[in-house]
Amino acid sequence: MKISRKWLQQLVDLTDIKDEDIAARLTMLGIEVESYENLSGKYDGFVVGSVLEVEKHPNADKLKLCKVDVGGEVKSIICGAPNVAVGQKVPVGLVGATVPHNQHDPDGKPFQLTRAKIRGVESEGMICSARELDLGEDASGIMVFDESATAGTPLAEHFGMNDTVYEISLTPNRADCLSHLGVARELASAFSRKLTPKRAKLREEGQPVVESAKVEVQAQDLCPRYSARIVRGIKVGPSPKWLSGAVERVGMRSINNVVDATNFVMLELGQPLHAFDLKLVAGHKILVRRPLQDETKFTTLDGKERNISPDTLMICDKEKMVAIAGVMGGMNSEISSETTDILIESANFSPSSIRKTSKTLGLSTEASYRFERGVDPNLTLQALDRVAEIIAETSGGKPAPGIVDVAAAKFPPTRVELHVDQVNRLLGTRLASGEIKRILESIEIPCDKKSETVMVCTVPTFRGDIQREVDLIEEVGRVYGYEKIADSFQTKLSFDFRFREQNSGDSLREYMAGAGFNEMVTNSLQPADVAGFHDQAFVQLANPISEDMAAMRSSLLPGSMQTVGLNISFGLKNMKLFELGKVYRTSNEQQIVGNFEETEKIAIVLSGIADPVSYDRKEAPFDIFDLKTEVERLLSFLKLDSWDFISYDTTKEYELSLKLFVKGMETGLLGRVSREVLKKFSVEQDVYFAELDLKRLLSLTGGRRRFKSLPRFPFASIDLSFIVDEKTPAAKMVEALKAAAGSMYRDISVFDIYSGEGIPGGKKSIAFTVALGSEERTLNDSDVAGFIEKAEKAFREEFSAELRKQKS
Amino acid sequence: MQEEIQKVKDEATASLREIRTQEDAENFRLRFLSRKGSVAQLFDRLKDIPKEDKPALGKALNELRSFVESEFDAARGSIGSTASRETAGIDLSIPGRKRYLGRKHPLTQTAEEIKRIFTGIGFGIADGPEIEDDYHNFEALNFPPDHPARDMQDTFFVKNPAQKDANQNGKYVLRTHTSGVQIRVMENNKPPLRVIMPGRVYRNEAISARSYCLFHQVEGLYVDKNVSLAELKGTISYFAKEFFNAEAKLRFRPSYFPFTEPSAEVDVNCFICGGKGCKICKYSGWLEIMGCGMVDPNVFKFVKYDDHEVSGFAFGMGIERLALLRYGIDDIRLFFENDIRFLNQF
Ligand SMILES: [Zn+2]
Repeated sequence: MKISRKWLQQLVDLTDIKDEDIAARLTMLGIEVESYENLSGKYDGFVVGSVLEVEKHPNADKLKLCKVDVGGEVKSIICGAPNVAVGQKVPVGLVGATVPHNQHDPDGKPFQLTRAKIRGVESEGMICSARELDLGEDASGIMVFDESATAGTPLAEHFGMNDTVYEISLTPNRADCLSHLGVARELASAFSRKLTPKRAKLREEGQPVVESAKVEVQAQDLCPRYSARIVRGIKVGPSPKWLSGAVERVGMRSINNVVDATNFVMLELGQPLHAFDLKLVAGHKILVRRPLQDETKFTTLDGKERNISPDTLMICDKEKMVAIAGVMGGMNSEISSETTDILIESANFSPSSIRKTSKTLGLSTEASYRFERGVDPNLTLQALDRVAEIIAETSGGKPAPGIVDVAAAKFPPTRVELHVDQVNRLLGTRLASGEIKRILESIEIPCDKKSETVMVCTVPTFRGDIQREVDLIEEVGRVYGYEKIADSFQTKLSFDFRFREQNSGDSLREYMAGAGFNEMVTNSLQPADVAGFHDQAFVQLANPISEDMAAMRSSLLPGSMQTVGLNISFGLKNMKLFELGKVYRTSNEQQIVGNFEETEKIAIVLSGIADPVSYDRKEAPFDIFDLKTEVERLLSFLKLDSWDFISYDTTKEYELSLKLFVKGMETGLLGRVSREVLKKFSVEQDVYFAELDLKRLLSLTGGRRRFKSLPRFPFASIDLSFIVDEKTPAAKMVEALKAAAGSMYRDISVFDIYSGEGIPGGKKSIAFTVALGSEERTLNDSDVAGFIEKAEKAFREEFSAELRKQKS
Repeated sequence: MQEEIQKVKDEATASLREIRTQEDAENFRLRFLSRKGSVAQLFDRLKDIPKEDKPALGKALNELRSFVESEFDAARGSIGSTASRETAGIDLSIPGRKRYLGRKHPLTQTAEEIKRIFTGIGFGIADGPEIEDDYHNFEALNFPPDHPARDMQDTFFVKNPAQKDANQNGKYVLRTHTSGVQIRVMENNKPPLRVIMPGRVYRNEAISARSYCLFHQVEGLYVDKNVSLAELKGTISYFAKEFFNAEAKLRFRPSYFPFTEPSAEVDVNCFICGGKGCKICKYSGWLEIMGCGMVDPNVFKFVKYDDHEVSGFAFGMGIERLALLRYGIDDIRLFFENDIRFLNQF
């Protein structure tokens, strides 16, 4: 919302205060000034000029050579506009001035005027169009002022633009500051000035309002008050400069002298107003009601036909609907150039009803914005007097005597008790009751002392946001100044085991980064088809931003693939990545919230070369065993000592895939990403991907870690190689060797797999290193021989395999 | 004789360089250090030397023997790490081999730093669901239905498959803030309590350099007897000094949140321009870092706490916002693109 300093000046005297001090104080009062602009600065170097002579340019047909009086001095200016003529008063930019908008630049960038020769003749300035001055869209010719303009007047002054405009951002509670009066009230308090609101002076004549029009409020629940005035004999036309300038400077469009007057009063006092053409109000009767059954369509002022729902509050006349209450008027009763008599509505509507209507229609207006936030019900009469005064002045109308005022009840101020000790308890201050009283009275909240420590505060109706003691305490703190409240930091250390972080992924992240993985954080919103591809029970949004983000992710794979694709597109083809993140689905069972299940997962991604290229090592691409290695390392890090990988079918996500079981629980899938998925993400290199259930993994690691005494006797290490059938799984052989070692088993690894020359067709040679040990003694040759014998036997019986070589 | 000693020393030195294997070592031993080896042979000849020369030559021979023995031991010890022994012709200016270097995401690093600071002053940690019901995300936080305060946050609604009626879609939302966790924590725990609640939140806003459809927040809550605004200021000031730097200056300016009263926005003095005004701080000299306030009595009513008995403060900060400021990142989308060149910078 825009606030004009010149306008504020009418309401509180701020003459000696700097622009920036006003901005700073407002911000610290909770009325945030986002920016402010001194408008006159924009037209530095521009003046009103009077065109004395116009001649043809000697060297160009379309250009004219003008002599322009710019206030005691005559400048020679070349002008290309078709409409320039002797006697005109025009805006002139002098050398050095910055023209706000360059008509010949596609971006309209401002440019500075220099002394320039145009086709051999010097020009000492520029006559500007409205477009060039950022004052309108008209670029067809130069702007021409009224004859009364004085040559030499600075342009800003001519426009009444010797003003500073503040852009303020208001929180929804401060409806009272949606007006210049409200902001002025805050400033009066901040700078200890007196508020000087306008008192309207009216000369009423003709038939009294109560005899000329009737108002009936049927839906009193939605309309606590409806007041109206009549002004007769007006002439609708353009607004005088002071009026159009005032509304334009704060960002509204000037329409005509009646509409501008209603907007002006809204901006000054905060009361939205609407003017009807009295002739078009059937039976001169206003009815405030919900629509009838067949009233479902209504055409608003902007020419759009709108659907009206049965609970929309409508303003109607004897025959028809004439306005959507508090939102927008109708075409059928609009002010036009033929209008002579008007009825001005100044009403109060239920905030939630207006908000509902505005939301349903998708139509937010200056009026609805204010009504939604709450308008002072005691403002209607004051606003009517003020607007009648202005319309009488600017359109020659005569206000009819009196006001029709239909109110459900009186609107008394709220009385709230305030305890001094509560103020100090909540703010951490030591304010005395006198100080508190002074603060509240500076913002027009009178306080009566009830006892030494209790006062009764009378909250005026323009502060609808103050209902409770705590609201008053906030006001005390705000006006006193948060900056004056001393910091206190007496935190006592007490350890609360209820809130110890459970199963945090922090140490896991640390480990993964140490293992060479970069951490990703990806979007958890995805297209519905992507989410559906991984899980049919995915969660859908009712109001997505776009189709690309219409569902919650059901797998971390798409985000990973997107990351892989993005990096490849930048030429980074080798990567190790991981992510800790949630996936979402609809479960059949009740969850914490509805049926929505959120599961934390860890994704591991390998793609490209296993260890980045070096000058002396052969590069090898990542393969499934690299992925398995990383998963096993992770499981070992988590102190999980037994797990199984089960070869799993090719799925739409994976080609080579393994299911991971830890302590018999399924904990994830890993494998090479399928062609189908690679294609979806336009990735042309292999990607190895694992997705594990993090919560389950972390819960399985639970339990205390206990120290085991270190082995006192050295291990014996035995290498065994066998020739087995090509199809014999390594895992089975490992199991057989473990069984053969029995209690002596300590560790096992595969160190060679070979087939080809020297090995019969259909066979492979596989070699293991087995570590054996004992808690009681160093193993001797016969222990080792016994193991080898058992192993040989097992291999012969289970795999029809022969021991090929042994070394111990 | 002196010359012969020198000769043996030179030969031994040359041979030592050739030792690569155990076999080489054995050959060397046989040649120089065995009972028939060249050192022993020289000792044998000592008996034929004139008496007056014996002390000097004996000393030289002893030196030779201990030199060859110790060099041999060293050479034998380094068999197997032969590469390290190759020193000639190695270009040490060749760079080391490049290996994968992993890093935690800057958002993780920032969140961990925030957690570290608050757990250090006695805050615990709690979390809650991202798909939240209207009650916890709005109602119990004192956002009445049809209240303009709800416009402060653009909300994503979730389709509820259990409900055929489309009007029920408003019941579940993607949480717009972590403040709902406050309610869950208070519902399930008696005061006093002091806890931070980090997590992912969503806003239905157009994606740009300045805003994304989701971000991460850390919510804080402290409820006890006599918790005051002064204590809130002290706590946040401590945090800012730890997080930014000891010279960080804070500004608390009045604001509005439905679930706190009084409420404040917290600004830190712009450390980029030192408060003079720059593009980052929009020429104000201040950077907004969080919202906070005293827990509204209506919120206490919802969770059945007695607001005469206890008072409390709450705050909420955006992790992205803090990370953007801390690292001087100019586009929030970079956090979610995971360009490795970006990730490697932190
Ligand atoms: Zn700055």
